[in-house]
Amino acid sequence: MNRPVLLISTKYRRSLLPLLAVSGSLLAAGAAAQTSNVISERDYLADMPVVLSVSRLSQPLDETPGAVTVLDHDFIARTGARDVADLLRWVPGFQVSTSFESVAPLVSYHGAFDSYSNRMELLIDGRSVYSPYFIGSIGTGLQTVALQDIERIEVLRGSNSAAYGARAMLGVINIVTRHTADTLGAQGSLAVGENGVRDVQARFGWGNQGGTFRIDADRRGDDGLHGANGKNQVDRVNLRADLIPRAGDELQLGLGGYSISSGRGFAGNIDNLLRPMGFDSGYAKIDYKHSLTVDEDISLRFSHSQESYQDQFPYALTNVNPAYGVNDIYIINAGGQASSDVLTVQHGLRRSETQRLVWGGEFRSERVKSIGLYNTDSSFVTNFTRLFGNLEWRPAQHWLLNAGGLFEHSSVTGDTLAPRAMVNWHLGSGQTLRFGVSKAFRPPSTFEESANVHFVFAKPSGYSGNFDITNVKSSGQLQPETMVAKEIGYLGEFPKWRMSLDVRLFDEQMKGFIRQQNSVLPKDYANTDDVSIRGGEYTLKWQPWSGARVMFNQSYTTIDTLSYYPTATVGTPWAAPKVASSLVYSQKLPADLELTLMQADSGTATLAGSGYKSRVAMTRTDVRLAKAVRWGASKGEVALVLQNLGQPYQDYFPAFTFERRAFVTLMLQD
Amino acid sequence: MRRYWRCLCWALALSLGGTAAQAQQRVVIVSSVGSAAYATMAKSMVEVLASRGVVSSDIVQLGASQMAARLQSALSLQPLIFVAIGSEATQLLSSARLSVPVLSTLIPRRNFERILQSAGRVPGSQLNALYLDQPLRRQLALIHVALPQAKRVGVLLGPDSAFELPRLRSLAAAKGLTLRDAEIASSDALFAGLHRVLEDSDVLLAVADPLVLNTLTIQNILLTSFRGRIPMVAFSQAYVRAGAALALYSDPAQVGRQAAVYVLEVLRGNALPDHAIEPDDFEVEVNQHVARSLGLSLDAQALRLTLRRLENLP
Repeated sequence: MNRPVLLISTKYRRSLLPLLAVSGSLLAAGAAAQTSNVISERDYLADMPVVLSVSRLSQPLDETPGAVTVLDHDFIARTGARDVADLLRWVPGFQVSTSFESVAPLVSYHGAFDSYSNRMELLIDGRSVYSPYFIGSIGTGLQTVALQDIERIEVLRGSNSAAYGARAMLGVINIVTRHTADTLGAQGSLAVGENGVRDVQARFGWGNQGGTFRIDADRRGDDGLHGANGKNQVDRVNLRADLIPRAGDELQLGLGGYSISSGRGFAGNIDNLLRPMGFDSGYAKIDYKHSLTVDEDISLRFSHSQESYQDQFPYALTNVNPAYGVNDIYIINAGGQASSDVLTVQHGLRRSETQRLVWGGEFRSERVKSIGLYNTDSSFVTNFTRLFGNLEWRPAQHWLLNAGGLFEHSSVTGDTLAPRAMVNWHLGSGQTLRFGVSKAFRPPSTFEESANVHFVFAKPSGYSGNFDITNVKSSGQLQPETMVAKEIGYLGEFPKWRMSLDVRLFDEQMKGFIRQQNSVLPKDYANTDDVSIRGGEYTLKWQPWSGARVMFNQSYTTIDTLSYYPTATVGTPWAAPKVASSLVYSQKLPADLELTLMQADSGTATLAGSGYKSRVAMTRTDVRLAKAVRWGASKGEVALVLQNLGQPYQDYFPAFTFERRAFVTLMLQD
Repeated sequence: MRRYWRCLCWALALSLGGTAAQAQQRVVIVSSVGSAAYATMAKSMVEVLASRGVVSSDIVQLGASQMAARLQSALSLQPLIFVAIGSEATQLLSSARLSVPVLSTLIPRRNFERILQSAGRVPGSQLNALYLDQPLRRQLALIHVALPQAKRVGVLLGPDSAFELPRLRSLAAAKGLTLRDAEIASSDALFAGLHRVLEDSDVLLAVADPLVLNTLTIQNILLTSFRGRIPMVAFSQAYVRAGAALALYSDPAQVGRQAAVYVLEVLRGNALPDHAIEPDDFEVEVNQHVARSLGLSLDAQALRLTLRRLENLP
């Protein structure tokens, strides 16, 4: 008797199905028909791997431990923004500068206190991208990905050190890039217009079941603010791969880099001469997720990133002493390098129907090197060891408690513990109230802790020896800044009226604000003011009629300082405007047209690069008109964008203004 | 004394001779192997039969290989009805020319029809099946009741499920739903088809087809549909565990209970129905975690009762 064993193709991973052949051609014909592509009860009875396991399920908005604003892919395209920083002006409570003076456009939440925004955390696909070189600033990190690669930006307004790490004092910006499986094929875009706007971008994605890949390269260039130094250009390339090594596992690989070339300084300012500046950054990362069961999963992440900053300028020594000749020039070099390595392990566990726990550990090593800033060729190494955890607990039917904490040990500044608790109360019919309190820290950055800026140059001819002027010398006595934030939030969804309202009332108390003491040389850093930030902000989303989408934001902020130093010229209370509003209105029109009107108004506030003396209000109106187009098998969009239809406004420095700009964009994809 | 011993010998002979020697078997159950579901179904069917007076000695349970051996040898069985569980057993019994009705169970409709075609048989009261797959109208009714705001139903069809398309279209239209379909001819075409369908759908209806839905493809399909905030409505508990928001299925115990009813009819002297038999009892399962993440509020029990009420079932 024949007993062929039919091996179902291993491609489909079935178990061996022994099929007995009773003699008879009829049955043999039947056996031949039983190929792997044929339906049987196996399709109904077989087990499937767990795909959407506990950590893969995002929290719905009414369960997030804080106010979250989500800017999705579609919204990003509609605003006509050319930088991620430009998008954040549509999130309530944010201050945005488009200047490249502090290396890249800046965003801050609840106050642009200084020229580097380092009180917020910026994550790209879970990888923290603040700059160790620039005292933790997120400006450069915002340039990492091209806008076309972004799936959505989630902004958590409020302190969340407990989940995201030490710098999440005022908030967290989480950029999620598009999954490679969603960007298969070719896509490209161009922007051309006034003010030297020249952007070009190309992307290609490929792959199949086992893995999908994408490479995206782009260049973004323009002439920058009027009065600022020179052209701003960013060149980027990013590669991403999403692989499924085994059912239930995901492996993500990323590699990329960007290069910013721009200019700093301005004419007539001898301390900040006009000069070119360059910043390069590269990264490699690997992200592995494994589902153990439907209620348990683990993930492992490793990333390495490097940055290098080039900035030198000639300083005429005649400014120091008229005895110098015109040819006595001293090159001030503010350049250097930094790198970081991070390893994170995370475990997600659903302990019961009412409890979900996510916890893990992270080791991060940062190295900064700059002769100009630290007066040494060796690297400053800071190692962080972190333990974090968050428990989601539903004690009763309409109540959710998120309780978490982050313990951090820094090799330089010791231990901190940042706890956070937030209660969400579902009142019913789409309404939720939130109450929470959290504590956060910002450890002093390498520069604030160890700066040692010397200017060493020969004395004028006729004298012997050198001048050794110490410009900045940190005494290294700094404590981390601490923040205790309390908030009450409300989220209401009204599907009948196609409306949703998100309100956040906050009381953020910061102690030990680290500030450079400029009144005496050498400048030192010290923990100075206590800063209190109180107020409220809300977002109203509405779809009033077919094809229309409205988003209206308002924020009311009052900043007070209790200063331990003479405060006459401290601009801190004006770091955020007392009132700011923004509106984005999109309307779909016939003939595949879409019109978007955007308006941003901000009360008096200090400019990011200057202090007390320059406080300005700002208003800006943008318009975008887009038309969907087809070209052969490709589809795309052509759009006209007009930025700042009104009067020019000051941005970053009083001397820099944002003039009106018009440009045309074209996007095509298969 | 001698009579006593003769009775004893006779009793021994009977027991040693095995079930094949019994002249009283009325039901023969032939089960495929490889899944606990077959045994669960058989057990529940036997329980119902037992409660209606069919004793265990009336029932013979065999694996498909044992049955094949029986068919080869002279030890034939003459029950009043054969019940085949699974496609392996159905394959076997449909090729053997049996003079007794055969009820095939735990088998999808398409598979049953294919087996019969290759065996040169036609379905009828001599050879009929209780299908495992839920009627399409019930699946669309579930979508309508559970996701009332979903107006566009996306579906991916492979070579073995493409035949469902016309029926799907007309049923969807009758319910005021638009169907967004893609036919996948090979696994390379899956991604493109999946994106095309998801771009324009509010819900993804899973239709069984080993080319489209298997342990390799399920990850991409669930992750992609979840990213697009599109729930999947599937046809087994395993899919709900994997991440489908909803599933509509008959569990093997329910199938066993329904099969028992038809077996009893035949034992009473009536014939099997000559038309397709659809499952009349079913379960609805919800993945509450996925549902919550998608902002859906679903009650599995309530949905099941609503569906039963709609079909005028108790």
